[in-house]
Order: sequence, then structure tokens, then C-alpha cells
Amino acid sequence: MDNADILVGIASYNNAKTIGHVVKAVDAGLVKYFPDKRALIVNSDGGSKDGTPDIVRSATHDHAAIFLSHPVYPIHRISMPYNGIPGKGSAFRALFRKAVEMKAEACCVVDADLRSITPEWIELLLSPIFQNGFDFVAPLYSRHKYDGTITNSIVYPVTRALYGKRVRQPIGGEFGFSGNMAEFYVSQDVWESHVARFGIDIWMTTEAIANDFNVCQTFLGAKIHDPKDPGSDLADMLLQVVATLFNLTERHYDKWKDQKGSSDVPTFGFRYHVGLESVKVNAEKMLNIFRAGLKDLRNIWMGIMGPGDLGEIESLGSLPGGSFRFPAGLWANVVYDYVIAYQRKVMAPEHLIRSLVPLYLGKTASFVLEAENMEQEGAEAEIEKLCVEFENKKDYLVTNWK
Amino acid sequence: MGNFMELLLQPLRDFGMTFFEFVPNLLAMLIIFIAGYFFSRLIKLVFLRVFRIINFDRWCDKAGLTAVIRKGDIWSKPSDVFGGIIYWFLIILFLMIGFSALRLQTIDNLTAQFFLYIPRAFSALVILIAGYIIAGFVSRAVLITAVNSGYHYAKILAEAVRLLLIVLILAMALEQLRIAPGIVIAAFSIVFGGIILALSIAFGIGGIDAAKRIINGGEPEQKGEKKKEKERDAEYL
Repeated sequence: MDNADILVGIASYNNAKTIGHVVKAVDAGLVKYFPDKRALIVNSDGGSKDGTPDIVRSATHDHAAIFLSHPVYPIHRISMPYNGIPGKGSAFRALFRKAVEMKAEACCVVDADLRSITPEWIELLLSPIFQNGFDFVAPLYSRHKYDGTITNSIVYPVTRALYGKRVRQPIGGEFGFSGNMAEFYVSQDVWESHVARFGIDIWMTTEAIANDFNVCQTFLGAKIHDPKDPGSDLADMLLQVVATLFNLTERHYDKWKDQKGSSDVPTFGFRYHVGLESVKVNAEKMLNIFRAGLKDLRNIWMGIMGPGDLGEIESLGSLPGGSFRFPAGLWANVVYDYVIAYQRKVMAPEHLIRSLVPLYLGKTASFVLEAENMEQEGAEAEIEKLCVEFENKKDYLVTNWK
Repeated sequence: MGNFMELLLQPLRDFGMTFFEFVPNLLAMLIIFIAGYFFSRLIKLVFLRVFRIINFDRWCDKAGLTAVIRKGDIWSKPSDVFGGIIYWFLIILFLMIGFSALRLQTIDNLTAQFFLYIPRAFSALVILIAGYIIAGFVSRAVLITAVNSGYHYAKILAEAVRLLLIVLILAMALEQLRIAPGIVIAAFSIVFGGIILALSIAFGIGGIDAAKRIINGGEPEQKGEKKKEKERDAEYL
């Protein structure tokens, strides 16, 4: 197979339990919605030891038993290892290269650990590219109010305030993108940084927005997947995502400095309510780490935030558990203080971002306590308020930028 | 009589010859001192200008070097302190070069020893500066990681790590300077070994449950958690 119209990428590492279902759903989606397109499913594997690539090659279902029509072209599948730093970003890089090599018109990537993927996801991720000429399709999910706390408290508010586009899940994991977008990604020299790991999602979204590609989002329903690798802990994830976010902020200063307010991006898909699994959170444990930070990281925080914001944070330390609240405006200031400190190279980037963990946990605990009796809509309204605070306080970031 | 006069005049002639041989050396020494003084001042001014341009004081603040200087009860700006060190190093260097111009055996030996010692002193200084920065970096990394892990004695742990590293760095610097190397190595082995032993005993007694959990691969907690209701952890991303 020399060329393909569609390339669907699946990055994997030891996903034997779930990848069969993902491949079947992708295959069914391609047959059902794009029967006249030449399609290729590519598995970019990080050296799985549980037979993941074999399952990709062998997973099959009887098209005749499911569909009335047959595909014009057979759907090819390949499983290939990737080179570079082990991580999702390096796996995606191999997929982008393959997409450029095959001259694919439209591509999408889906996680290998998904349990809730249906054939419709493929249509929802690819149709905006084929039919409406979009270059980048971000996902939109129904999520539990306590899920996606890095997204809700840092990545979404900062991205929205800086670039003025309301892409609700900028680090969702599933994306659709055009062949032009894949070419752009391949040409960038970022593959030795955190982009090679969990930074890939925010990098893809931000580069698409900041470089004026046509961006939209599409509603996929609930996202249910296997638990993440326990080895990838909070501090590492936060480091990889936030360092990439801050690097992009430095890189695209000219793009965001004059941007005021924000606007919706076109949204596809039929929105509906989904029953979600219950989620356990331990706000008390988060607050203990926040208070430990207040006690032991004071000097570090002073160097980053200065006495004003630190003084306000210290006053939160004495609040009892139930009534603990981290004001949205103060949180926006803290995040902007960190962006500025990162730009001014106040300390080693790794130390700087890791020192944000107790503050982030304090903010998350506050949200958990606040949203305890709220429905999903109420929790979403709180996130909206937070985003407005980030937009209102953006001048603070612009003024202090050197 | 003629011989007697010769006996009287010869020492004077020898003295005169030696004196007139010595005077150019003395003049050379004085010229080296004066030139060295002005050269040192010039170099100091150049360094101060460069320090100002590269924002050296701010860098010292960030790296924690200013705090070290303050602990030594020195309240000048770090750029002035380092400018002063460079100035006095050059003054001493020109003094030694000047003295060597006298061509006196004792001073020549002293000068030779001084120049042989310079590389060692420089290495020791580099070890101390680099070591101090590394100790600060590692200690801060330990502090942040320990706080993020919810460890109660994060600050004590970070300070203990810093102390261990500083002991190691001091021992390395003293060994480089060849100051009582036998005693330094013995003292270092005793102090470092003692600290490690103390920490091991402390962990063995105080952290016996934690050690048991680590050895068992966290099994007791995991089993307990599996029995709980069907809930999953919240996702961060």
C-alpha cells in the first residue's frame, strides 16, 4: 500500500486486554462511514511484552454480519515499534511520519486502553476534516466532575485565556487532524522534550490554535478506559504537561499578548447525558500535602510568588477542612506567577513545576469540597467562573512578562 | 699594609658589587609590585563591569550563593566579593612574581611551592563552589519530592541530605589541598559511616511498618483496597 486517504493511529504499551476492542471499533467505523476511502490502521508500539502487536494484527470481525455494504478497499493494518524517548509523544511522532509518507488526507489517533470507543468515534473525529475542511478536531467528553483536574484547573483555563479559543479538552487523548497538520507536526523539532511523553496532547492542540489552523471539537460521549500505569504519578504528569504548556507560552508570546476574551469553537456531535462511574477522592489527604507545602516550601514559594500572593495562601492554611476554599482569583494569580517564574528562570524548571503540586492539590481539594453536592452542570459552572478569572487577570501576566 | 687595605676594601667591593647586582632586581621587584597593583585594579574593574552586565548578583541570589556569603557575615554584594577575591589573588600572584625577581634562593623555593600549589587550591575552590550548588540542588529536589509524597519530616530529610553532601564535599576539598589527608579520610569515613548507620538504625526502628510494606510490595494495602466498593481513582489529565 503506497498511499492512504485515512490513517488511524493507536499508540500502545502493554494494552493486550483492550486493544482488540479498539481495533475492531476503528475497523467497523472505517467500514461503516468511509467505505470508499483507502484506510490504514497503524499501531505505534513501545515494546509491549504482552503480545499487543499480535492482537492488533489478528483482531477481526465479520463485516458481512454487521454491515449491509462492503468496503471498496481492504483496510490494512500495521504494527510498528517507534524510536526515541519512550512515551506517547514519540509514538505519535512515528504516526505523523507514517501519515506524511502515505500522503493521508485525514488522520485520527485514539488511545489503546479505551473501553468506551464505538465506530461512531471514527466518524466524529474524521468527518469535520473531510466535510468541513477543519485541520484539527479536539475531543469533548462526558466526564465525572472530579476527573481531569489538571485539565480543569490549569490547562483549559490557561489555553483559553491565552489564545481565546474554548477547546474544553485540550489534552483529551483522541484527536483528528488533516494531512497538512501532520506535516506541520513532523517538521517541528521538539522530540527530545516533554512533548515526547505526556506533553504531546497540549502541544498538538496549542500548535494547532496558535498557528491559525482550523480548529473544532466533537462530542464523543463518555470516555472509559483502563486505569493508567501506576508508575506515571501525579508529579511526573504535571511536570510533563505544565512544562510543555509553559514552553508554548514562551514560544507564542506574540500570538497571545494582545488576545482579549475568548470565543467558542465549532462543536460537532450530538450531546447527551451519560451515566458515569463513581470516583473516589481524598480531599483530606490533598489538604495535608497542601499544608505540608505551606510549612516546608515557604522559601521556594516566596521566590516564585512574592509576599502578596504567598500571604493570601498562608491565610488559607488555617481554614478547617470542611470550609477550606481556594479562591479562583488567587489560583489564577498563582498559575500566572508560575508562568512568569518559569519564563524568568527563577530556578530549575523541574523544581519549579514540582513545587506547584501542593498548591494544585490545595486547589483540587477546594474544588472537591465545593462541588461535593453539585451536579455535573454546577461543577462545570465553577470551572467556567475559574476560566473567566484567568481571562480577567491576563493583564497581570502581560504586564509582568519580560 | 697594601694587603691589609686589600682586606678592608675587598668586602666593601664585594658588597658594592652585590648591592649593584641586587639594585636592578629590587627595582624590578618594585616595578612588578606597582604594575601588578594597577593591573589588579584594572582587572577588578573589568570583572565588576562584566558582573554587572551579566547580572551576576541576581544569579548569585537565585543560586543561593548570596545566602552563603551572608552566613559568613559578609554583607557586600556578591560581585564585590568575587571582584575582591580576584583582586587579592592577583596581588598575591604579583607579590610572588616580584619576590622571585630578587633571585634569592629561599624566596625562589617559596615561590615555586606557591605556584605548584595554585592548581590544587583552584581545584579545591571549584569543588567547593560546584559542590555547594549541587548540594543545594539535590537538597531542594529531596525537599519538594518529600513534601509532594506527604512525608512529615521533609525539611529534616532535605537538610540531612545537604549535610551529608557538604561533609563529602569538604572532605574532597581538603583531600585536594593535601591538608592532613590521612586524618581527613579517616574522619570522613567515621562521620559519613556514622551518619549512614544512624539513618539505617532510625529507619529500621521507626519505619519498620513501612519497610515491611516495601518488602511485601504493598500487598496488605492493595488487598484491602480491592475489597472496597467499586470506585476508581480520579483522573488528573
